[in-house]
Amino acid sequence: MNAIAMDIRRNRLLLSYLIVAMLLLVMLVVGGVLSDRFLTWRNISNLLQQLIVLGMVSLGQTFVVLMGGIDLAIGSLVGALTVFLANFLEWRPDLVWLALPLALLAATCVGAINGLLTILLRVHPLIVTLGMSSIIFGGTLMYRKEPGGSVPRGFADVAYTSVGGVPISAIVLVVIFALAGLWLQRTRSGRSIYFVGGDREAARLNGLPVNRIVVLAYALSGLCAGVAAIFLTARTGVGDPRIGVALTLQSVTPVVVGGTILAGGRGGVLGTFLGVLLVTMLNNLLNFLSVSSYYQWIIQGLIIVVAVGFHTSRRRH
Amino acid sequence: MAPLDTATQRPRHKSLATVMERYGLLIFLAVLMAVAAAASPTFLRPANLVNVLTIAAPLGMVVIGQTFVILVRGLDLSVASLMATVAVLATAFRATTNDAIPLIFVAAIMFSAIVGFVNGYIVAKRNVSPFLATLAMMIILQGLRFAYTGGAPISTLPPGMAFLASGRIFGIPVNLLTLAVLAISLGIVLHRSRLGREVFMVGSNPKAAFLNGVAPDRVVIICYVLCSVCAGIGGLFLLGYVGTVSNWVGQGYELDSIVAAVMGGVALTGGRGNIFAALLGVAVLVVINNLVLLLGFPIEMQLIIKGIIIIGAAAFYRTQVN
Repeated sequence: MNAIAMDIRRNRLLLSYLIVAMLLLVMLVVGGVLSDRFLTWRNISNLLQQLIVLGMVSLGQTFVVLMGGIDLAIGSLVGALTVFLANFLEWRPDLVWLALPLALLAATCVGAINGLLTILLRVHPLIVTLGMSSIIFGGTLMYRKEPGGSVPRGFADVAYTSVGGVPISAIVLVVIFALAGLWLQRTRSGRSIYFVGGDREAARLNGLPVNRIVVLAYALSGLCAGVAAIFLTARTGVGDPRIGVALTLQSVTPVVVGGTILAGGRGGVLGTFLGVLLVTMLNNLLNFLSVSSYYQWIIQGLIIVVAVGFHTSRRRH
Repeated sequence: MAPLDTATQRPRHKSLATVMERYGLLIFLAVLMAVAAAASPTFLRPANLVNVLTIAAPLGMVVIGQTFVILVRGLDLSVASLMATVAVLATAFRATTNDAIPLIFVAAIMFSAIVGFVNGYIVAKRNVSPFLATLAMMIILQGLRFAYTGGAPISTLPPGMAFLASGRIFGIPVNLLTLAVLAISLGIVLHRSRLGREVFMVGSNPKAAFLNGVAPDRVVIICYVLCSVCAGIGGLFLLGYVGTVSNWVGQGYELDSIVAAVMGGVALTGGRGNIFAALLGVAVLVVINNLVLLLGFPIEMQLIIKGIIIIGAAAFYRTQVN
C-alpha cells in the first residue's frame, strides 16, 4: 500500500468522523431548541450512564470486524452472563470479587472458542457465531426461563455512582476506548488486526501469526461482552436471558456508522465511539420528543442503510 | 466479510466423498426418522407425518426463496420480519368475508416484491453487504409493523384464511400443495431455465457472468424479489396456521431458513446449491424439532441442537468442496 493511497483512506475516515461529529452537534442544538430539559446536566449524565453497555459490545464488534469477521454471539453471551451474575450473586453476595473475574474469563473463553471454530472448521464467521449464539441462548433458557436473581447493593452502585457529576461507567468506557485505540494504532499486535482484516493471505505470507490474531480478536469481543454484562447486571439488578437478544444487531450499527468497513481492515475505535454517542443520543432525543420506540427502529434501520451506502459508494470511486 | 479460505485438497476416496455429499443428508434424515420411530410408535403414522410436514410448509416456502439469495452470494435476514409484516398487512383490510382473500394475496405479494426490490437494489447497486441491507430492512419493517398495530395482536381475518392451514384439495393439505407447486415451478426456473443458469453464473463468478453478457445486478435483484415473495406467501400460510396476528409471527425463520439451506448444501459462498436439497434440509430440521419433543427434552434443547447442526453442516460441506 503506497503512501498516497494511505493518505486518501485516512482522509475518508476523517471525513466520516467529521460527519458523525456534525450530526451530534446538530442533534444537541435541535434537542436544546425543542426541549428545555434535553440540555440539562441531569439528562446529559443520564445519557452518559447509558453509554457503557452499547459502547462495550460495539467495541468488541469493532475488533472482530476490523479483523475481517463478525460476531453475532454477543447478545446471547451478554444475556447468559447477566443470568450467571445475578444468580451467583443472589446465592453468595459476598463473592463479588470472584463472580466478576469468572464472568470475564468465561466470556473471553466463549469468544476464543468462536475464533478457534472459524479457523479449525473454515466456516464463515457469520455461521459459526450464529450457531454459537443459538447454543448459548438455548443453554441459558434451559437454566432460567424468566428474569431472576439479585445483586448486592454495593455492586449495583457501580452502575450509578458519579465522580464530579460524571458517571463512573462513562469514565471507564472512555479509558477503555482510549486504550483500545492506542493498542490498535501503536502496537504491533494491534496493527496486525488491520493487516489480517485487509488481506489475510498477505498477512500470512508476511509471517504474521494469523490464527492467533483471529482468536485474539474474538476473545477480545467476548471480554468486552463480559464488561458490558457486568454493568448491565449492576444497572438492572436481575439476570435476564433475553436481555441481549437485540444487543447483537445493535452492536453492529455504531461500528458501521463510524466508518468501519464490514469487509475488514479499515476503520477504528474513534468512529465506533462517535457511532455509540450518535445512536444513544438519537434514541434519547427521540424519547424526549415522545417518538415511540417503533419509529426509533425505523430510524435505526435507515441510519444503517444511509451510513453504509455512503461509505461504500465512496469506496467505489 | 473476509474472503473465505479455500479449503485445501485432501486425498480421499472420491467416490465415498461424492456419495456422502449427495446422499449424506438423506442418510441423516433416515437415521433421524428411525430414531424417532423407535422413540415413539406414533411418529411414523401418516397422520403425524402429515402434521409434521404441515408445520414445515411455511418454512419450506421461505427456504426456497432464501436459496435463490444465497446462490448469488447473498443472505436475507429480513424474511421473518417480512412474514409478520405481511400478516399484519392481511389484517389491515378489516375483512370478515372470504371475498377479500384474493385481494389480500395480491397486496401481500406486491408488498413483498417491493421489499425484495429494495433489498436487491441496495445490495446490487449500492454495494451494501447483504447482511447489513437486509438487517436494516428487518428493523425498518419491524418498526412499520409496530407503528401500525401499536404492538397489540389482531385477529380480524376472513374465516377462509384458516383453510390455508387446514384445508385439503383432493385429500392433500393446501399448504403442502402450494409448497410443492412453488418448489417445482421455481425449481424448474432455477435448474432448467436461462435465468437459473444466470443465477449460478453470477453466484460463482459475477465478473465472468458480466463478461458473458449477463447483468449481475439484474439477476441479484430478481433473486431478492423472489425471496421476499416466497417469504410473503409463507407469511400468509403461517398466519392461516396461527390464526391470530402477533407482531412476531415467523420469528426465528430467518435463522431456520439459513440453517435448512446450509444443511441442504447450499454454499454461502454462492453458486452451488439445489432447491430440493434445501427442502430436504427443512425436513431434517422439523424432524429434529419433533424428535426433541418426542424424547421428552425441554424445548430449548432445539436451539442448542440447531446451533450445533448449522456449524456442523457448514463444516461438513466445506470439507467436501474441491
